[in-house]
Amino acid sequence: MDDSAVGSGIESHEQLRACLLAAREQDRPQLILDFIPYSGFIGAHAKVDEGDVLYWLEPRRSNIGNPSLPALHGGVIAGFLELSASVELLFGLRLNSMPKVVDFSLDYLRPGRLQALYASCKVLRQGKQLVNVSITAWQVDIELPVATARCHFLIN
Amino acid sequence: MKFNFKAALFRPVLKMAMERVGHGKLLGFTITKVARGQVNLTCPYDSKTVGNPLTGVVHGGIIVSLLDTCCGAAAMSAMGKPSVAPTMDLRLDYMHPATPNEPIFVSGTVYKTTSSVIFCRGMAWQQDENNPIAHCVATFMRLDLDRAQFSGVIKSGFKRLLSRATE
Repeated sequence: MDDSAVGSGIESHEQLRACLLAAREQDRPQLILDFIPYSGFIGAHAKVDEGDVLYWLEPRRSNIGNPSLPALHGGVIAGFLELSASVELLFGLRLNSMPKVVDFSLDYLRPGRLQALYASCKVLRQGKQLVNVSITAWQVDIELPVATARCHFLIN
Repeated sequence: MKFNFKAALFRPVLKMAMERVGHGKLLGFTITKVARGQVNLTCPYDSKTVGNPLTGVVHGGIIVSLLDTCCGAAAMSAMGKPSVAPTMDLRLDYMHPATPNEPIFVSGTVYKTTSSVIFCRGMAWQQDENNPIAHCVATFMRLDLDRAQFSGVIKSGFKRLLSRATE
């Protein structure tokens, strides 16, 4: 496998674990996003805000789906929410390996405009193998969500 | 059969709108088939889209984006006239991780059209169509565009082409 092409600097489980540990100790979930190339591809960020992790997607022209509105691409919103959910597990549930996504279900409530998109995650149930996460995304007002999603992950 | 100018224009406009603009351009896929209610595309492997750096497997978000694009295009193609089809919801099941360094094939099929909703299913696979990476069902709202709005879309498309040509 061509790991050098990935360019995230993480090549072994030990490095991954060290990175996860550093992120939790420094309270910086962004460190986890930094080693996932896809987060740079769409421009996703995370920070700890009042004890919870707040995720946001920077507005980029390359994330547009419908240029005439312009509106964010539905797939980018989905990818961002799925990414947020997996980081939530790595950061909040202290997993030491990448969770495997099993299914993902998304409801689009409003068009996403070309401005920052925020997301917060809530782990609804954590079993030995399966975790259910609910994710909500909004832009200007948390009361006016752009999309809600739920996701199942296999852990360990 | 009467020559339908709008229908003839539909394929190149759809291809341009999907492949050359915004996130579609970033993903780098190619639409390989456009029939009524059926769209196929192929996306090459890109190390920038990796979700797990240890294995090099692409992130699930890429699969969602491809399936959403493909089903959305299929929904538009099913309406037979210029229209937009915003996604209402999308549900995705991941059967197994994608193999790194191999292209991903995606198909989107409309299986039912009603007066207000279009129902689609989509499939993503690599080596074997019968061993898919992921399967999805998606529903789209059916919004017919009037002539004025469509001409606006065409105009903005031409404007973009012109601006690229002069760049």
